[in-house]
Amino acid sequence: MATRNTYELTYIVNSVISDEQVKELVTRITEYISDAGGEVLDVDEWGSRRLAYPIEKKRNGYYVNMHFRSIGALIPRLERALEIDDNILRYMTLRLDAKMLRHFEASQGRKAQEKTAVTE
Amino acid sequence: MKKDALPTMSPETKFTEPEYVDYKEVDLLKQFLNEQGKILPRRISGVSAKFQRQLTRAVKRARHMALIPFVADSLK
Repeated sequence: MATRNTYELTYIVNSVISDEQVKELVTRITEYISDAGGEVLDVDEWGSRRLAYPIEKKRNGYYVNMHFRSIGALIPRLERALEIDDNILRYMTLRLDAKMLRHFEASQGRKAQEKTAVTE
Repeated sequence: MKKDALPTMSPETKFTEPEYVDYKEVDLLKQFLNEQGKILPRRISGVSAKFQRQLTRAVKRARHMALIPFVADSLK
């Protein structure tokens, strides 16, 4: 079997479109990954933020940061889909190396702890 | 020694360089940028060469994702 890597994908959705459309788009991308055999580890929606500089004349964007495990061959296909979608202003995929993986796991651990602190 | 570090950076002497510089940690990155959004030279910030390389990379990623500006002429 081809080796699987952990990837981090961040993308900015045009926040001019309605909340439902944003939600639908995020679900579509997440499903695109899982349908292609990727294992989605985490989806973190940062929500609408002000962009540091305008992109396509827009001052705000809806940020989504996600992590997943998949084979490398999925990435060009995924990036092409993101490129084609006009409601995606920016995207960036990174392959996590050992250091980044440790960093990610540490932040996941922190997040889990916060969650239990809230529920308790 | 870091005796040449600017006074603005001197409280940072206890700063421990992380193993991985994450482009998402905007507040961390901003400590190493001037008002224009330029990366401070190592001779000012006093960080290690290794950290500086990672920082540069993280800053460029953050700029691409519009988390920090390419140029910030905040005044005028």
